[in-house]
Parts: sequence; structure tokens; C-alpha cells
Amino acid sequence: MAKDPVRVLVTGAAGQIGYALVPMIARGVMLGPDQPVILHMLDIPPAAEALNGVRMELVDAAFPLLKGVVATTDAVEACTGVNIAVMVGGFPRKEGMERKDVMSKNVSIYKSQASALEAYAAPNCKVLVVANPANTNALILKEFAPSIPAKNITCLTRLDHNRALGQISERLNVQVSDVKNAIIWGNHSSTQYPDVSHATVKTPSGEKPVRQLVSDDDWLKGEFITTVQQRGAAIIKARKLSSALSAASSACDHIRDWVLGTPEGTWVSMGVYSDGSYNVPAGLIYSFPVTCNAGEWTIVQGLSIDEFSRKKLDATAEELSEEKALAYSCLS
Amino acid sequence: MSSLSLFQRIVIRCGLTSCRSMEKQPVKIMVTGAAGQIGYALVPMIARGVMLGSDQPVILHLLDIPPAAEALNGVKMELIDAAFPLLKGVVATTNVEEACGGVNIAIMVGGFPRQEGMERKDVMSKNVSIYKAQASALEQYAAADCKVLVVANPANTNALILKEFAPSIPAKNITCLTRLDHNRALGRIAQRLNIHVSDVKNVIIWGNHSSTQYPDANHAAVITQAGENSVKELVADDKWLHDEFISFVQQRGAAIIKARKLSSALSAASAACDHIHDWVLGTPKGTWTSMGVCSDGSYGVSPGLIYSFPVTCNKGDWSIVQGLRIDEPSRARMDATAKELIEEKTLAYSCLD
Repeated sequence: MAKDPVRVLVTGAAGQIGYALVPMIARGVMLGPDQPVILHMLDIPPAAEALNGVRMELVDAAFPLLKGVVATTDAVEACTGVNIAVMVGGFPRKEGMERKDVMSKNVSIYKSQASALEAYAAPNCKVLVVANPANTNALILKEFAPSIPAKNITCLTRLDHNRALGQISERLNVQVSDVKNAIIWGNHSSTQYPDVSHATVKTPSGEKPVRQLVSDDDWLKGEFITTVQQRGAAIIKARKLSSALSAASSACDHIRDWVLGTPEGTWVSMGVYSDGSYNVPAGLIYSFPVTCNAGEWTIVQGLSIDEFSRKKLDATAEELSEEKALAYSCLS
Repeated sequence: MSSLSLFQRIVIRCGLTSCRSMEKQPVKIMVTGAAGQIGYALVPMIARGVMLGSDQPVILHLLDIPPAAEALNGVKMELIDAAFPLLKGVVATTNVEEACGGVNIAIMVGGFPRQEGMERKDVMSKNVSIYKAQASALEQYAAADCKVLVVANPANTNALILKEFAPSIPAKNITCLTRLDHNRALGRIAQRLNIHVSDVKNVIIWGNHSSTQYPDANHAAVITQAGENSVKELVADDKWLHDEFISFVQQRGAAIIKARKLSSALSAASAACDHIHDWVLGTPKGTWTSMGVCSDGSYGVSPGLIYSFPVTCNKGDWSIVQGLRIDEPSRARMDATAKELIEEKTLAYSCLD
């Protein structure tokens, strides 16, 4: 007997990332090939016709798992009964723009969407914020939707996590599926700290530390970090558009692992509400290594943090505190 | 590695030792026009196993023209960034020989896109020379038994040109996409009957992937708990089936362009995956699909045209569903779309001179 459908909201659904994301959701990439879904798609009135075009295409694709599509410019209708909310809608970053440049435009968006979600989403709705500045948008959303459990509000750093795995796999000339346990600490911005000091590679003779196989700490502490930090900008330079395909795919990975659990022995990176672990200030949305089980994430504890890493963890936390202050100043 | 046929590579198992944990050999899939809209929608679908199954590793070969080289590299970068477990390699190139090298499946998306207001014939001349050149490259460099799906419009005629100029590729391996229209037809019936699309089956798209296509629901069925019922009977409105339903499906591409200001990409890409999936892995029992294939004269359609028929698929081969009763209005429509294809063929050949 088929499962009951899960309602998944995608905001900004008429945009690039939405267009890449919705067919992935409709094919079961996000929740599994046996989980029917109902898509709720929201966008702003100027995009209403394009949004309807996306709805038409979803119907035209005859997806077996897709049990319904709601396409609307009304936040209330969009949020009603949703079990998962993927917040892609926001002001997109253009070539040359830093994330802070788009902050003020997004803060008011996330304040109002917080109210709608809180009032109309299903209980225990899981929220993933993608639109940049992702961490701070998620923080605003949390602050203005106090009845949504803080643990249910997350932001996407899985893209950076996957990029880190990809860079290691290219460097070592191994399959990316054999690399695991990278960590993205902090802000989904250029201060993120891609950390592979605990990452491993599956080899014919067992799991080996990435650090040992790469055998080039200068690269790991230098070029590797900046490549991952700046990858978003590199994509914009090549495509003249933000990452959509990889962002959408990572959003699916984030939700899937959150809901269905991480594999044994593997963690992932998620921007989550800090509880003070690793001396990161509490109350920020900060990316940590997490495992997931029974629909809940848990920060991986007890990882050794060397001096180099400590500085990086603190720098990105500092930026997040600054963003928080900036965001609040936008609200006054 | 590429001497095995696609079908062999998919079913092969190492026979001597227990190998349940051993992965299948990767299948090489080429996508032309990969830096464009449809390509961008298609490649993550392929990389996630939508096309060949969730346990079939793939290697992607992406081809586009030199002005798109940087954008193409951006697509490659994103594919790496997505860390797809099934994606065992990406080749991104503007060199058609490198792109075609050893590929088992070729999805020809590259071509001149249709803009709002353009009819397919408008784009024909631009595409004929593209498909002649790509025919040679495929013939020389692709793996044996490479399966080809032409998506770029005019799809049927591009496929015909490709077939004519790649004579050593078996004609049965060259197809064009009408699965998008087929899926659109299913969706419209489902909407009319207020049921789920997966409970509708066996529509047919006859002919050209153009405004003369004939979406035929005469043999379509609805799956219910109590068995299968005729769509025709359940709709109980032959006038709607003969007029509104047909023009809805025929004009849907234009309707999408009007809404999005861009051609269908998401649904075209998804339909391309469905086409290849069913071709390679077989159609479900009791179900057929629509594919643009080389006509053998079935149903009075001129042999040698690439014409969309109802087909079942098994063991990597398609077969036209035979023996379906064709009423007079259907006959007229089937002939009209065949006539357009013959005209397109003439036009295409005149472009070659």
C-alpha cells in the first residue's frame, strides 16, 4: 500500500534553483523512490506566469510520485499543511556581489515568511533555508517563528560539503562516493571553514585519512580551502548564473539524510542552531558536522580541533555575529 | 570496455565469485547541447539514475559549441560539486570526436532552439547541417549498438538526417522524442478524469513531434482497483477527444513558451529519461509507450520515415504494437502527419544542396 503523500514547499519556485529542484523532488530524490509528494510552489506576483509554466511542466512530466501541485503567489496557501519547506526564494547573488550585499533585501522577506510558516505549516515542519545569506535568513526565520522548534530550522551547507568531497576526489583521483566525513564549519559564505582533518577515503585496504593520502598540509590549509570557499563565485564566472543544479541536488541530500538518516559511520554538514558545541556562540545558525537518525540531527561531539582550525571556526562565527547585528539593524 | 553492447553491459555479472557488492560497469552517455537549458535539466537526472536505474553507474560526455565552452565547463564543475554517487566521470568538450568516443547512449539535444512564434520548419535548415556532421562522428566513434535519441527540433527530421548519414548505425537504433507529447497526453486525460496520471496508460502519439502530431486516446485505458476501463468510455465525450484534447497536446509546447518565455526543459529532460529507461529496461507488461522510430510500413506509414508509433520494449529493442484498429478520423490524421514528414524530408534535402 502506498505511503501518504508528504507536502513539500519550495519558495522562489519559478527561479533557477526551483526549476532544478522540483523535478528532483518529484522523482523521489529528496525522500525516496517510494514516497509520494505534493509540491507547494510559491513565488512573487511578477513571476506568476512563469510559476504556472513550471506547474504545467510538472503535470506534463507525468511523474508517478507527484500526487499534486499547488502553484501560488499567496504565502498562506503555499505554507498550508507543509511538512517540509525549502526556502529558495530571495534576492539572487550576481557576479561581483558579496552575500552581505543581498542581506537587507532578504531580511524582510524572511520575517514575513516566518509568520506564514508558523501559522500554517504542519506541526514539526522541517525547514531548509537555501537563499543567501542562508544562515542569517534562517536565523531571522527562527526569531520570528518562535513556535517552530529551533532544531527544525536549518540552512544549506551541504553544497559546500559536497564540493569539498568533490575537490578531494579530484585531487586523489578517486570516486567521490569513496570520500566521506568532510566538515563545513560556520557560515555558507567565503568565511566557511572546509575541514578534512577527520575525512577518510575508502580504499581496497580499508578507510584511510584524507590528510595522510593527500600528504600536503599546505594544500589542505590553503588552496583546498579557498577553492571550496570561492566555488560559488567560480560557478557564476563560468555560467554567468548562480549554481542551481548542484544547489538543488544538495538540498535534496540535506533533507534526505535529515529525514531518512545518515549512513552508519558517516556524518554530513548542516547549518543548525548552535547549542554552544565546540565553543561556537549559542544562538547562531552555524554549520556543524551532524549525524541524523529518526528525523533528528545531532552534532558530532568530541572531534579534536587544532589551533589552525580554532581560528577558522572563530572567524566564521564572528562573521555570523556581525551578520546578525547587521540583519537586526535592517529591521529597525 | 566499449566492445560490449549496452544491454550486455547492463546485465553482465561476474560469474565466478560472489559479487553482490560489485558495481555494474559504467554506461557512457553523451548529451549534446549540454550547456543549454534542456541539458542542464537532463544531466542531474542522468546522474541520479533516472535514466538507467538507481544501481547503474554512468559516465557523462557533454558536448557543446565553442562559444558555450565556459558555460559547459561550469556544468561540469557543478556535476562534480554535486558529489553524485553514480557519476563515475564527466567529459566536457567542444570536440565531437572526443564526445562521441565509446558512448553507449547519445541524447542529441544540441540544435537551434525554437523561440516564441517560430514554427519548427523555421529552424530546420540550421539543424540539418548539424545533424549531418554529427552523424559521421557518431558512426565512427560511438560504441557498437549505441542507442540514439534525438530531442532537438525538428526532432523526426533531424533523426532522419542522422540516420541517412550514419548508415552503419542500425536504423532501429535511431529514434526521436515523442514521449514528452505522450506524457502530456496522459496528464491531460488524468486531469479530465480527476485521477492520478499513473493510472492512465496506452495513449499513442502518432507521427511528427510537431503541431500535426496525432494524440490518440482511442486505445487508452484507466487502471482501477476493479481492472482496466476504456478512457474513451470514461471520458464519454468523443468530441472533446477528437478536438480539444488533440489541440491541447499539439499546442502544449507553445503554451509552455508563452508562460515561461522559454522552451520546455524540465519536462523534455524527464521525458528523455523515460524514453531511454523504457527502451533499455523494457516497458511494463500491458503497457506501451510512444517513440519516434524508423517506419517499416506499419499502419500504412511510408517506410523509412522517422514516425512516432506505439511501441513495447524488451531486452533493449522496441517493437511497434500491431493490430490496433484505426478508425477513419485517425487514418486522416495519421496520413496528414506523415505527409508533413515527407514535406520536411524534401525540405531538409533541399537544404543540403
